[in-house]
Amino acid sequence: MSENLLLWLLITPLVISLLAFAARLLGRRAHLVLEGLHVIGITLVLVFALGVVQAVLVHQNVQALNQWLYADHLGAIFVLIIGILGFLNGLYSIGYMRHDLRTGEVDLNKLSTYYGFYHLFLFTMLMAVTSNNLILMWVAVEATTLGSAFLVGLYGHKSSLEAVWKYVLICTVGVAFALYGTILVYSNAFNVLHSAESAMLWTEVIKSGSLLDPMIMNLAFVFVLIGFGTKAGLFPMHAWLPDAHSEAPSPISALLSGVLLKCALFVIIRYYLITAQSTGTALPQLLFLVFGVLSIAVAALFIFAQRDIKRLLAYSSVENIGLIVVGLGLGGVGIFAALLHTINHSIVKSLMFCTSGNVLIKYKTRDLGAIKGLLKVAPVSTFLLMGGALALGGVPPFNIFVSELWTMAAGVERGSVWLMAAVLLFLVIVFAAFLRLISGSVFGPAPAGAVKGDVHWFTLLPIGLLLVLMILLGVYMPAPLYELLKGATQIVSLGN
Amino acid sequence: MSGENIVNALAGLLIVTSLLVIETKKPSLSAILYSVQSLVLVGIFLTLAISMQATPLYIWAFTALITKVILVPLILYKSLAKVGNPDQPQAVLSPSMSLLIAAIIIGVAFAVVTPFHLQAIIKLKPALAVSIAHFFLGLLCILSQRNIFKQMLGYCLMENGSHLTLAMMAYNAPETVEIGILTDAIFAVIIMAVIGIRIFKTANTLDTDKLTLLKG
Repeated sequence: MSENLLLWLLITPLVISLLAFAARLLGRRAHLVLEGLHVIGITLVLVFALGVVQAVLVHQNVQALNQWLYADHLGAIFVLIIGILGFLNGLYSIGYMRHDLRTGEVDLNKLSTYYGFYHLFLFTMLMAVTSNNLILMWVAVEATTLGSAFLVGLYGHKSSLEAVWKYVLICTVGVAFALYGTILVYSNAFNVLHSAESAMLWTEVIKSGSLLDPMIMNLAFVFVLIGFGTKAGLFPMHAWLPDAHSEAPSPISALLSGVLLKCALFVIIRYYLITAQSTGTALPQLLFLVFGVLSIAVAALFIFAQRDIKRLLAYSSVENIGLIVVGLGLGGVGIFAALLHTINHSIVKSLMFCTSGNVLIKYKTRDLGAIKGLLKVAPVSTFLLMGGALALGGVPPFNIFVSELWTMAAGVERGSVWLMAAVLLFLVIVFAAFLRLISGSVFGPAPAGAVKGDVHWFTLLPIGLLLVLMILLGVYMPAPLYELLKGATQIVSLGN
Repeated sequence: MSGENIVNALAGLLIVTSLLVIETKKPSLSAILYSVQSLVLVGIFLTLAISMQATPLYIWAFTALITKVILVPLILYKSLAKVGNPDQPQAVLSPSMSLLIAAIIIGVAFAVVTPFHLQAIIKLKPALAVSIAHFFLGLLCILSQRNIFKQMLGYCLMENGSHLTLAMMAYNAPETVEIGILTDAIFAVIIMAVIGIRIFKTANTLDTDKLTLLKG
């Protein structure tokens, strides 16, 4: 039963994707069919994702296709993120794309492209986090770039084409580096296991991790970190991120920032575990701390200087990925904090990108200099924006505060007080930037051209749900989620 | 001449062809040279298949022949025809500078593989070094060229490099693996070509230095 769940989780978005591409043949009726397919698709993916999580909680892990697919507590966290945020961002997509269709920004063909690639993108991400076959894991991560490229460039403007070119080129080149890491691990494991089939399976390689050649594993980890780190948006490989995340349609920005970056991070964690078995945690954790702190530092400065709301949010993703990686580098409680922050950031960043989509609908610009008097123009969206911005600024009682606090505690416990002080300094800069975002855009008179009245309730509902999740996780930890995090932390801590 | 010698010699030929791909002025000619290079790669796969009794590499040679000698160059050539195959803008590096960097890359690659002790590849170390160097030559092409299609060819060179490493270190992997990697590579080229054509139609240039709307 649980084996089938894993298969259905992957088959559903793939089939829906093909149907959505085909729906363009229906002509004018395509619109409703597409929305129907889309709703069925995101709902089923959510249901199957929750099913997989449930199965992992009961059976420890789920496998399918001769162990080529595999989900443990760690994988289940990422399946959960894709399921929930694929659903909520998908729900938001409906109202957002209706608006784009009405204003002529997209036509029915592009709408079919949008929904087709939306589900293909979900499929590739799900494949990346459920693949136990290391090489297919690589194939899936590369496929996430290819599956999301046309979503980023959907509008076909000169700027979006420029963004998508950078996105595809930098990420394919980056991920090509990771292929080297993958090949090194495979051939190293083959020398030990003497079976081509086993040498590709993460669950088998990790068992013989201590027999792997440490020098080759260190080299492989560096390749993997650079390669998948490009995709995860770590500094200095993040150059594509602000462009792609700001030029994409807002629900896609939400998926890219909130979900895709985490998938790449998941793959890095899988390799970190193999490397830790072979060479110990010293080098990988040091690399995590260096890349993490640099990402936070550089992103904080860019966030502060940024005047484009979506680029600001994109840099905030670099900062948060940095925080997660720092947590992993600290080890101990830091791992729990990192995994919790992964979930928390996914929720808040989706909330903020969707809200920025509402702002874009009302103001037709992303320039913070022109976005004024939001409270008068769109009061509900303002409320959501303020909540999200405060959360990203690290204000209690929101969820981001909790995981940031855990990360800090982990650092202090480990004795890295100065490092944590530096991180805290950058977090203060980020806080100031978000405070300025609120004070600059919420109050004051509305610009003359802005039509008063909030966006359709259907576009507000998914963001409202995200807000509820965000507040809930700030004050309360549901027992199943705690179980999941505890299990995943144990898996990642085995590397220590 | 033993199989290993032939492989090592052909690997050297790979480097020559990739330098030609990088330095040729007309992108369409580069695409043809890339096809020639892929033919050399097919030759290496066949030699490895015979000398190491690695039967899966016969299939690899066949798929590479279809995809890399014919399909990918054809996609690039046709796409270039659509944008009128404009002369490439000035490269960032002069040819002599590129050659110098290429020489350094090859030297470093040889130094990197020296301490490797994986049994299967000991006799093929020069070829392994070439495959790694080749990957970085592709990267050099991307960084030193401003024409979108030349950057695409740079990616193709990188891909050929990693394909050769894969053939030497993981030829015994199940066929699905090679299919997965090749599918990604082909779709990457198709998608890049589509984007390249759209950029030319919207911005009327293939020069990446002129794509400067997004900054900061």
